[in-house]
Amino acid sequence: MSDFLSAYSIQSWLESCPQGYLENTVYGHATGENEPELLLTNAVLHEETIRSTVQLVVGERCALAASSGLINAAPDEASKRFLATQTLDEARHVEIFTHRLYDLGVKKNHLEDVIQRYANRNLVKFAEVLLEKVDKKDFISGVVGQNIVLEGMAFSVFEMMYAMNQTVNPKFAHTLSGTIADERRHVGFGENRIGSLIKDHPEKRPEIERMQKEMSYYMLATFADAFRNNAAAAEFDRLQEEQPRAEWHGADLSAMKPEEMEGLLADTVLKEFKTRLGRIGIEYQTPVRP
Amino acid sequence: MATRASLSPVDIHDLELQQFLEEVHSFEFWFEAVEGYLSGLTWGHRPDTPEAVLDELERDRLITVLCNYCVGETAALEGASGLISIAPNRLSKVFLATQVADEGRHLEVFLHRLRDLGVKDPEAEVERRASPSLVLFKRRLLELVAGKDWEAAIFAQNVILEALEFAVFHSHGQTADPITREVLAGVVKDERRHIGFGENEIGRRLASAPHIRARIGQVKKELDHLVLDTLADTIKQIGMPRDEQERLGRAYLESVERLGFV
Repeated sequence: MSDFLSAYSIQSWLESCPQGYLENTVYGHATGENEPELLLTNAVLHEETIRSTVQLVVGERCALAASSGLINAAPDEASKRFLATQTLDEARHVEIFTHRLYDLGVKKNHLEDVIQRYANRNLVKFAEVLLEKVDKKDFISGVVGQNIVLEGMAFSVFEMMYAMNQTVNPKFAHTLSGTIADERRHVGFGENRIGSLIKDHPEKRPEIERMQKEMSYYMLATFADAFRNNAAAAEFDRLQEEQPRAEWHGADLSAMKPEEMEGLLADTVLKEFKTRLGRIGIEYQTPVRP
Repeated sequence: MATRASLSPVDIHDLELQQFLEEVHSFEFWFEAVEGYLSGLTWGHRPDTPEAVLDELERDRLITVLCNYCVGETAALEGASGLISIAPNRLSKVFLATQVADEGRHLEVFLHRLRDLGVKDPEAEVERRASPSLVLFKRRLLELVAGKDWEAAIFAQNVILEALEFAVFHSHGQTADPITREVLAGVVKDERRHIGFGENEIGRRLASAPHIRARIGQVKKELDHLVLDTLADTIKQIGMPRDEQERLGRAYLESVERLGFV
């Protein structure tokens, strides 16, 4: 275990992040990159962009609370130190997505009101399920919930958003690419560290499986709210804005209807859950579809 | 690390308070700060810094001192991470997240130094050599954090503990072997930032809500003797003269006196 954990040391983090993919970035993107004019001037697109960014802030605030809360519950020093880097990563994500809200014109003194107004209630419930485990200092459930379920979801959502923004919004795509690299590391830790702990504590399985099922339901409900009530897609149709091809998992997102995108995202995330949970000895539980 | 683009040409101290806090408590500010002094280091020191020849007694004393640094840093890591959930705003949470990474790094570099010195199982060694007063301090700090007492916990963590560490590390750095000296120099730079946050946060709270002074004064009274006992143990192990112990004791007390506590 100690050999594998050495790959997650702060020394490794310093070498891969500040000296690697975060070099020459400011708030996650290159200096001089801006949000596209259309997102700032079209009222519908502007509001939908703020709404979707708020969900990222909410998710990352949850991840920050969870990773910091798990440090005191970690059974070994190396895990504590990895979680220290993850805490910092999550704080960075909170910061860069908050800055995106500022870039979109949200006033600093209105930030909390805007977050409260647009935060998806299902995403908040998803976070509450996880944070309840963290509050109880339940390290194994907390790491599965945080580093496999939450981070697994974030990883796929960010990848999909990256594909959609790569051509039309390089600034936001750049911001996302750094977070994707972070999430990949977090998911890797979850899988590698928790497998042995689950083996030592098989009695935890039913509780973890229930948590995964519940979190998955709220995740799907969040996706449903985001795609089924998305005014941005209708606005793009109205404007007859041609979207450049955006390929993700073999599909062209630009040619898909919102409900098809929802299906693709949900299936991708759930498939990932199944694979990753299987690797750590947890039986994937199919959630109720909202 | 290459130099990153400057955030702003504006002198940071010319900013109004909220904007100043947005800057100095940010990940970006931390990033700019640490890249200046951690660049090119491995486990907190330059890879080519020579290992000094220590006799058995010197090596043993250094191991004891480093073990106690690990206890202090673990307390700081667990304390800072626990404080994130009770921090009153986003900027404090983000700052504390940078502090969590700093404390994790300190723990890591000290554990690595112990391995360099031939300690096979550093974690077990830390447990064996931990100073009882420091262990008690850690327990009390984590109780304050668990009790969600923001002012008392931030005072214990970012004023008392950080001031103690700053005084000891700075002093030890003057006489330490070259590798330990470099490791301590990087740690001291971090501690300066943490103390700044603590003093600033507590100072503002005392100014706006003077009634918390009595409660914090009580915490100080309770922790002072643990701090001074720890200081005495450490100074003895480092092999410093008695007048240095008195000087460090005074330095610690002065750092809390700056906030009006005597």
